[in-house]
Amino acid sequence: MGNQKQETNSARQKRMVLGFSAAVLLSGMGMAQQRGGSLTVGLSYDIDTLNVYSTGFLGDVQATVAEGLVAPNEKAEYVPVLATRVPTIQNGGIKVAADNKSMVVTYQLRPGVKWSDGKPFTSADVKFTWETVKDPKFIAESKDGTEDITSITTPNDLTVVVNYKRVAPDFKSTLFTFGILPKHTLEGKDLNTDTYNQMPLGTGPFKVTQYVKGQFVVLDRNPFYWRKDKAGVQLPYLDKMIFKIIPDSNTLVTQLKSGEIQMATSVPYAQIPQLSAQAGLKVIKNPVLSWQHLDFNLKGPAALRDINVRKAVAYGLDKATISKALGGYPIPIDTVVVPVFSYSSKTVPKYPYDPAKAKQLLEAAGYKAGSDGIRAKNGQRLSFNIMAQAGRSTDEDAQQVMIAQMKTIGIELKPDNKAGVALRDARYKGGYELYYGGWITSADPSYGVFYSTKGVNNGQGYSNPKIDALLATADSTLDPTVRNKALRDFQTLLMQDLPSIAVTSNPSMIVTTDKLGGFVSNPTNMTNFVNTSGWYLKK
Amino acid sequence: MSLSYIFKRLLGMVPLLLGVSLILFGVLHLAPGGPLDVYADNPSVTQEALDQMKRAFGLDQPLPVQYFRWVTAFFQGEWGYSIRTSQPVMEEVLARIPATLMLSGSAFFLALLVALPLGILSATRRYTGVDYFITLMSFLGISMPVFWLALMLQLLFAVQWRVLPSAGMQTIGDGSLPDLLRHLVLPVFILAFASVAGWSRYMRSSMVEILSQDYIRTARAKGVSARRVTYSHAFRNALIPVVTVVALDSAAILSGAVITETIFAWPGLGRLFIDSMNGRDYPVLMALLMVGSFALVLSNLIADLAYSLIDPRIRYD
Repeated sequence: MGNQKQETNSARQKRMVLGFSAAVLLSGMGMAQQRGGSLTVGLSYDIDTLNVYSTGFLGDVQATVAEGLVAPNEKAEYVPVLATRVPTIQNGGIKVAADNKSMVVTYQLRPGVKWSDGKPFTSADVKFTWETVKDPKFIAESKDGTEDITSITTPNDLTVVVNYKRVAPDFKSTLFTFGILPKHTLEGKDLNTDTYNQMPLGTGPFKVTQYVKGQFVVLDRNPFYWRKDKAGVQLPYLDKMIFKIIPDSNTLVTQLKSGEIQMATSVPYAQIPQLSAQAGLKVIKNPVLSWQHLDFNLKGPAALRDINVRKAVAYGLDKATISKALGGYPIPIDTVVVPVFSYSSKTVPKYPYDPAKAKQLLEAAGYKAGSDGIRAKNGQRLSFNIMAQAGRSTDEDAQQVMIAQMKTIGIELKPDNKAGVALRDARYKGGYELYYGGWITSADPSYGVFYSTKGVNNGQGYSNPKIDALLATADSTLDPTVRNKALRDFQTLLMQDLPSIAVTSNPSMIVTTDKLGGFVSNPTNMTNFVNTSGWYLKK
Repeated sequence: MSLSYIFKRLLGMVPLLLGVSLILFGVLHLAPGGPLDVYADNPSVTQEALDQMKRAFGLDQPLPVQYFRWVTAFFQGEWGYSIRTSQPVMEEVLARIPATLMLSGSAFFLALLVALPLGILSATRRYTGVDYFITLMSFLGISMPVFWLALMLQLLFAVQWRVLPSAGMQTIGDGSLPDLLRHLVLPVFILAFASVAGWSRYMRSSMVEILSQDYIRTARAKGVSARRVTYSHAFRNALIPVVTVVALDSAAILSGAVITETIFAWPGLGRLFIDSMNGRDYPVLMALLMVGSFALVLSNLIADLAYSLIDPRIRYD
């Protein structure tokens, strides 16, 4: 468990400090009491592959096995893992070229780190990881950042020098965070079909000992793990972690109640009240880096290109009621940058719930109510399809509330929900009229992929050259003040144009046994399992 | 019935399955989206990378070419690689077959063992308390949603009484037979319950009809015991319509029980199908659908053969 977490004073961290001092006390009396035990976690999806670069999921299991050079902590700030420090301009780890067109990042690696098979971890593994992931033959979901790197040199076993062809403020995400691949077992192999996909080898606190497809993964303590606690006890505390695949959320809850599993992340809101009443369990709210948004397809019906219609929708949405319908857990937001980030702007144009104003805007823009209460202008009714992810009950519930709220201001919304690939296809190509869904980002997100004209996730056809310029600036500077200003201006402009309404930020609910100590939730895409070494079970 | 008849029927399956495969292939590719759409959100997967993946999976070819390649390989036992997991399709499917066979197979035979006697009992005791009770239970079984009953039983047996595991196929670290059987109890009961409810109704109505036939009255008039009348004269004749229904349902043994497998975290073919469908994993989907179609065609053949066993007047040449 990282030491960086103990300066703050939230209740959770206090508990952690207590846990640590208990560890110190107990280790004084011989073996630390919390070493040992086995934690069974319920996974709500069926694992496709245990290779962190090719999985279509976030990689909960993978995070206990593979480690990167750096990783985001519970405040979405990067902390060193296999590197001894996070490179910055101040500490000399980053050197930007005089023409501001390229940069060099140097990592110092932690000495004495071993793979879980006992072989030493060196800079050659880091270089190998880049070469392997970059290789076009390797079919991977996550190749972010590989194209920005021109070369990697390894002056010695513990130094990695990475040459970038642009100034890339997001250099830390993916490649050097997701996990380093072992060169000594993978060199010359085809990573698409190698057994690494079922039995990954990492430097992390646990190693896979058994993976039964569709059923479970058993992980045992990595005997060579490098982290030690303050008392010098080798981590991890837990002997074993087991991930059980339980696709049905009701069954997941049943297993929590029966004690067959001791932990589940992303438990549906509807199930939380009955679980928090259950003795032996505790509920933890994790403010993840995701936001719910209502998008307008600007290539769709002409009325959606009318800013007055979009504003009316925004004024007509009661975000507090939507939150209430979901148990009161979602936090209403005014901008697409979630409140966790320091550059989330509080001065964006806001659209507080005001149905009278919404009606007035529509009236003034010429949309008159028809006999059925639905407004129309020149024969064009304000009647649209609204797409959400089929089967995602929180989104579908929120969608129902929105449909009712829009009806009161004279706009008809009809659900047109899609699942899986059909949803992605529609979202990507703009095959919808309105879309309600959520985005989740890494700890240093690029908003260009969502809102710049050529952004890959901009399926709605939004384009504003000023936004493009601001996002280009934000994505190419290492100066936090320049980046933060660009991102704040971007938010103001975006909320003026209103191609998308920021609705709520939905925290994810974690349920664990109250015996679990040392647990710290993580809001990033590196999952709550990014550092399991300090977790322990109270006897 | 002769061996050559069976052989002819088996041979006839080939063009039938070919036709089925063509339709399935077409329908799957008509569904919006494709397997590579999972990369659509990802800015770092470049167009060149996507094109290369398309080439690697053969998705760049025109559909007829893709179909022809797939069908020739498939019937030679070369089922290709899963796009979602990069594992051989044959391996993925074979890994799931034992679990599905165990679950659906046990449920099938259990249901058969219970449904037939219940149907006969219900028919011979028509309009008595026993009949009304069995009828009531059957309608309950037919109308009760599987997921609700499953949830209730899990709560009762796993949470309240803690006598059975709520889901999964084995306790981790314990793969013994008693452990497996304990995990089988709830899902098998759930699956069998719905089948028993349906099949016993067929058995009952078929028996009731036969029992009112003239030859049954004649047998009774001759002084044949009630037992003999029921089991030797009526039962065999009443079986024909039941066999049709049961045989068609038996194909489900190999196509997987999607809902039950999901609720009970059972690693069978039904769950593999849902996961593959969501990822448009064409090679796995085609293999699963073909296995299911084959099971259906085969169960039809078995039903036909069973007819001639039950009723010697039915003959095939």
